[in-house]
Amino acid sequence: MTDDNQRDATRRSVLKGASAVGTAGLVGLAGCTGGGGGEGGDGGSGGNGGSGGNGSEGTSGGDNASDSGGSGGGGGGSGELELVHWWTAGGEQEALNALIEGFEEKYPDVAVNNNPAPGGAGSALDAVIKNRVLNENPPSSFQIWPGEALRPYLDSDVLDDIGDSVWTSEMQDAYLQGPKDAAAPNDTFVAVPLNIHRLNNLFYNTSVMEEAGVDPSSISDPKALLDAMATIEENTDAAGMAQQTQSPWSTVQLWETVFIGEQDTETFKSMVESGDASANEDAIKSALTTVKDYKEYFNQDAGSISWDQANSKVINGEAAMIHQGDWAAGQYRAQDGFEYEQDWNMVAYPGTEGVYSIVMDSFVMPSNNPSPEATKKWLQYAGSVEGQQKFNPIKGSIPPRTDVPTDPFGPFLQSQIEEFKNSDTQPPTIAHGTAVPPEVKTSIEEAFSGFIENWNVDRAYSGIADAISGN
Amino acid sequence: MNPMDLVSRLVRSADDEAHEDADVRTDGGTATSERQGSGRGFLASNRNLVESLPFWLPPALLVGLFVYGAIGWNVLISLTDWEGLGSPEYGSLDLSMYAQLLGDDTFIIAFRNTLVLLIAFTVVSLAVGLVVAILVDQRIRFENTFRTVYLLPMSLSFVVTAIFWSWMYNFEIGMINQLLRLAGLDFLTQQWISDPQWKMAAIIFALMWQFSGYCMVVYLAGLRAIPTEQYEAARTDGASTLRMYWRIIVPQLRASTTSAAVVLMVFALKAFDFLYVLFGDTPGPSVDILSVMMFREAFSTTNWAYGSAIATVLFLMALSVIGPYLLTQYRRGDL
Repeated sequence: MTDDNQRDATRRSVLKGASAVGTAGLVGLAGCTGGGGGEGGDGGSGGNGGSGGNGSEGTSGGDNASDSGGSGGGGGGSGELELVHWWTAGGEQEALNALIEGFEEKYPDVAVNNNPAPGGAGSALDAVIKNRVLNENPPSSFQIWPGEALRPYLDSDVLDDIGDSVWTSEMQDAYLQGPKDAAAPNDTFVAVPLNIHRLNNLFYNTSVMEEAGVDPSSISDPKALLDAMATIEENTDAAGMAQQTQSPWSTVQLWETVFIGEQDTETFKSMVESGDASANEDAIKSALTTVKDYKEYFNQDAGSISWDQANSKVINGEAAMIHQGDWAAGQYRAQDGFEYEQDWNMVAYPGTEGVYSIVMDSFVMPSNNPSPEATKKWLQYAGSVEGQQKFNPIKGSIPPRTDVPTDPFGPFLQSQIEEFKNSDTQPPTIAHGTAVPPEVKTSIEEAFSGFIENWNVDRAYSGIADAISGN
Repeated sequence: MNPMDLVSRLVRSADDEAHEDADVRTDGGTATSERQGSGRGFLASNRNLVESLPFWLPPALLVGLFVYGAIGWNVLISLTDWEGLGSPEYGSLDLSMYAQLLGDDTFIIAFRNTLVLLIAFTVVSLAVGLVVAILVDQRIRFENTFRTVYLLPMSLSFVVTAIFWSWMYNFEIGMINQLLRLAGLDFLTQQWISDPQWKMAAIIFALMWQFSGYCMVVYLAGLRAIPTEQYEAARTDGASTLRMYWRIIVPQLRASTTSAAVVLMVFALKAFDFLYVLFGDTPGPSVDILSVMMFREAFSTTNWAYGSAIATVLFLMALSVIGPYLLTQYRRGDL
């Protein structure tokens, strides 16, 4: 054995020990923060629990992490299926449990080890998974955004190709192009998208809109929305648009939606893929300026609330509308006496008709898999009609497969499914990881963290340009 | 006669020898000037060593591995170019990450913010803690209750206080703006935690609220260690209350100040949780500090080496705070 190898071996064993301690701490911390309103994320959890509940989640997350970290490189061995995910709040937890129950019924020989790493939008899961992959001790499968969010894993070649074993031609026929692209960022299938949330929605409170005399479906483009909001603030006490600017992600997703609304999906894709923002400088700045103009119509406390608090302003009529992913509808559904079409409704964001911006969750098959056969079964099930029919109605998302029966879905999701099937393009999103690698996403969020402080369009543009070019 | 002379004379006569060669310990500890016997033979001390092994060796090894080993390894990583989910290359070590830091505006801003937070937070907390300690020291009624009330915020988790303060600072319904409106001071209402002009001040105020109670306790112990004769002597000499505290009492609280300041400063360097809960991993240029930037680089963008370099800078800053303190303690024979 050479000197190098030896050092490598010790390094690895130290790494294992240290990361067990490290992740336990991190998970505990992030687990506490996620649901509590810090980052919020796309949990679709609505107005879920108080901080007490979140605290205890954090603790259990820490325990889990230290268990798994401590077990070292041995892996499960027993053929049990270990799933790591961040679905721990209300409806999303129920949705996953329904999926797991269905899976266990179908494959009674596989024991499922449900091992959540709670934390909004995967803030804790990320650290846990990265450490475990570095330790060459991955779980059987874990939840992750598909698309460019997979880039670090693909660059290090730690995900198995599931093109033959899972993505049968039957399954490929059932998926639209957008989700399929996201499942295969390098043209080989590595992920199975399980659910889709739409990002380019404009939700509104119907009675406020009527009082203001504004017809949302007649607003043709993002700039025209400004006039509508001016009318609303003139005629009612409500704020034009509910928004949170405490953390940058909501403004990132608003900007990218406005960008598509002012330009089109092609321009958006070329902007994020080209690695050169200068060709689209005017378009980027124009969208930033529009968002900056929107700011005048935001609720005044936007800087100190979370997205779900902003969303409740639409429910109680303090704000007329909100741009948010359709996880926001989960909060409306949970609210008694706030009914779809009567009290709230939704249109595609002005200028984005025919576009279905997709926010997805997927499961993957890490290399060095502790249970390859069971993992394949799990991924096949996640990509099946049955699995997606069990999961999505409870989660409040739509199935990526277009052949899932729509009966179990409520009227709102049924109309979303209809719009999805008829959509022309399904662009990925920056704020939710499918459009750009994590590093670019973080740099863009950094640029926007400055933008929501000083609202300086030029500075935000140069931040975005640097981020996209990878500087 | 100079009041200081009188005071020192009084002190000397009151408790003569105890203070011969050591300063009055004002941080609540008792001074031990006893040195270990030098008369013992080498053999005896060797036996002591062997007998005491089981007590100090395991913790020393654990601390050595998990604290100092981890620090050393972190420095090593910062010399590589490790990023992504592969393994680090230890073959070519250089300082490129540190060079990159110097050219990174984000780092410069975060470094500046860290220093501002460190100094402002420490000074403000100490000042408030001292004032409150002096007030509580006036033999007031319900003293214990007040002490508990002031100390209580420190026992709360940052997750709780961060969310609590995000409510306090809410523009529309937050306590602070509501109080200002109630007092007719509408023009003073601010977007406390989104206006870059106020963001840092708001964070420092919230942290001060949480930690001044700790300073109070440290100072209170220091005040209690000052003999009452000194107060009486100063009074006899006709010193005003302000003068008495400024010239006689506060100078004797140096040890309390040092120990509280060190704790506060080291804490300020790692004030991660509070910001992370409020703003996530991108708090914005006005309050971005090194510890948040480190987390962002390491865990959000998998630039492990770059994150390690930031961690090393943070470690050096902590060392430069703690180092002088430990050195003076050592020179005084307190370690």
